[in-house]
Amino acid sequence: MKFKMNMRKRHIFEGYSFIILWIVGFVAFMAVPLGQSIYYSFQKLTPSKTGLIAENVGLQHFRAAFAVDIEFLPLLQSTFTGMISHVPLVLIFSIASALLLNRHFRGRMIFRGIFFLPVIIASGTTLKKLLEQGAANLPIFMNYDLYRMLRLFIPGDILESLLTYADSLTMVMWDAGVQTLIFLAGLQTISVSLYEAAKMDGATKWESFWKITFPMIMPMILVNTLYTMVSSFTRADNSVMDYINTRVFSDNNYGYASALGWIYFVVIFIMIGIVFLLFRKSLASMEGR
Amino acid sequence: MANAQLTDKVKISDKLDPALRFQAIKRSKNIIGTIFFYFILLSLSFVFLYPLLYMISKSLMQSWDVADATVRWIPHEFNIHNYKVAFTAMKYWQGFMNSSIISFGSAALQIISCSLIGYGFARYRFPLYGLWFVLLIFTFLVPPQTIVVPLYMFFSELGWINTHLPFIVPAAFGHGLQGSLFILIFIQFYRQLPKVLEEAARIDGAGAFRTYWQIMFPLGKPAMVTVFLFSIVWHWNDNFQPSLYLRLPPFYNLAQRMNGFYGQATMTADQMGASVSSSAIGMAPTVMNQMMAGVVLSIIPILILYLFVQRNFVESVERAGIAGE
Repeated sequence: MKFKMNMRKRHIFEGYSFIILWIVGFVAFMAVPLGQSIYYSFQKLTPSKTGLIAENVGLQHFRAAFAVDIEFLPLLQSTFTGMISHVPLVLIFSIASALLLNRHFRGRMIFRGIFFLPVIIASGTTLKKLLEQGAANLPIFMNYDLYRMLRLFIPGDILESLLTYADSLTMVMWDAGVQTLIFLAGLQTISVSLYEAAKMDGATKWESFWKITFPMIMPMILVNTLYTMVSSFTRADNSVMDYINTRVFSDNNYGYASALGWIYFVVIFIMIGIVFLLFRKSLASMEGR
Repeated sequence: MANAQLTDKVKISDKLDPALRFQAIKRSKNIIGTIFFYFILLSLSFVFLYPLLYMISKSLMQSWDVADATVRWIPHEFNIHNYKVAFTAMKYWQGFMNSSIISFGSAALQIISCSLIGYGFARYRFPLYGLWFVLLIFTFLVPPQTIVVPLYMFFSELGWINTHLPFIVPAAFGHGLQGSLFILIFIQFYRQLPKVLEEAARIDGAGAFRTYWQIMFPLGKPAMVTVFLFSIVWHWNDNFQPSLYLRLPPFYNLAQRMNGFYGQATMTADQMGASVSSSAIGMAPTVMNQMMAGVVLSIIPILILYLFVQRNFVESVERAGIAGE
């Protein structure tokens, strides 16, 4: 009995010694700063020679964010509506390209290399520069003959907005790199025998996608939904992020910026909670598998 | 089953002509399908290559080519001068060194620390395991802007502003840019390795760390390639954190220099000082080609890196299984 306890204690000790580094880092680079930023969000901070001077203002920053600031709420709203259309599109596109790349064909290494190129190029500052140039909207749909051809059948107003929307899909494709990777990794884990069995039973490709592939990659869909949401909330060209940065570094309004950061964070958390609720059913059914 | 197939074959050979016809139809369908498949692949590839082609094409143009509507992709006259201007204006080597130290330093440390931490999470169950795991996910979700003010003050009190330490030290603790994502990748990877491997080592008398370091760490190579590439690329392209912690021109990394680079017509990045603003909308086309040259220059190192590790990277992703259980 005593020996067993020792084994168990040793196991715990070993486990903690592996992750102790992370716990220390968590306290230093996450927990303490988070606590401080909550504290700041209730303060008015004025820079001085000795550092920042804090003055308690209570909920004033939060009230200001909702009642006084005319820019913040619209930005918040547009970020979220943008995300609601962006996330499903990225998911659909990345599933489709993962399925394409998962097939056996000549030159698939080269094509895979090309498909993940945006992970390298279209991120951070480079993406920002391309956006400034207007290079992120491919002129394929708007500029070429397609417009004139379709103009004969579809009224101009509808067509124009439709094609502008299609042009903006470029961003969706560039954003889908990591997600495609995750789906591809997931597709690789599905055993071929499942498809063979389905084929024997006379299932079409369409059916075996919905009955085998789709349920099997359900966990990756959750992972990718979360990843896409988080990355679209925190990316360099996110307008709320930009706005908070401006408050910090141009206005030096630290307290207010902290409050805005917290409002944003809470809203994100609610959104993520909703996603978890939506996926709850499929998660529960997966555990029994 | 075998009988059924046999009788099928007999039937087909009985009526030879329809069978041949069927095969011919099937083959032509295949060819059309293949052509269609490659058509889709190629057109998607164009979308992915577009930013690269765009940058290279614009960066090689003379200013009048940029303004000329008849020139779409290939300039009348190739112009390497843009690159020279961008190279000197960005003080390329200095920026390159800064970017390299930050990216490679953090990536190397993140591989070591995140793999260690990921292993701990993957193989051990200890009190409060659930709490730490939830906090790990939580770390992944916190937008960096939420905590940027206290972190900046923390680093500035330590005297770390204008050094590489704000990037390197959190990376050593398994934090830093996307650290929690990398830990999750390692957790996933180590979980799927068989436990027998470690048990054998333990029976041979190796301690926990020796087992990890000699057996499990080297096996983590596929996950490492993924983490290494992502970490380097994201650090390299990141402008947000460097713009906080690197506030004097000699310490700027390439992303900052690229961001602050408006070409010869205005000033060099260094003269503009720390307050370089990011918006350059309404820029004259004269400057645009030089700026694109700057962008190309700043991403060329990671493009070359990608060219070399691409094969490993894509293969390793298949084996690393980034995804959830």
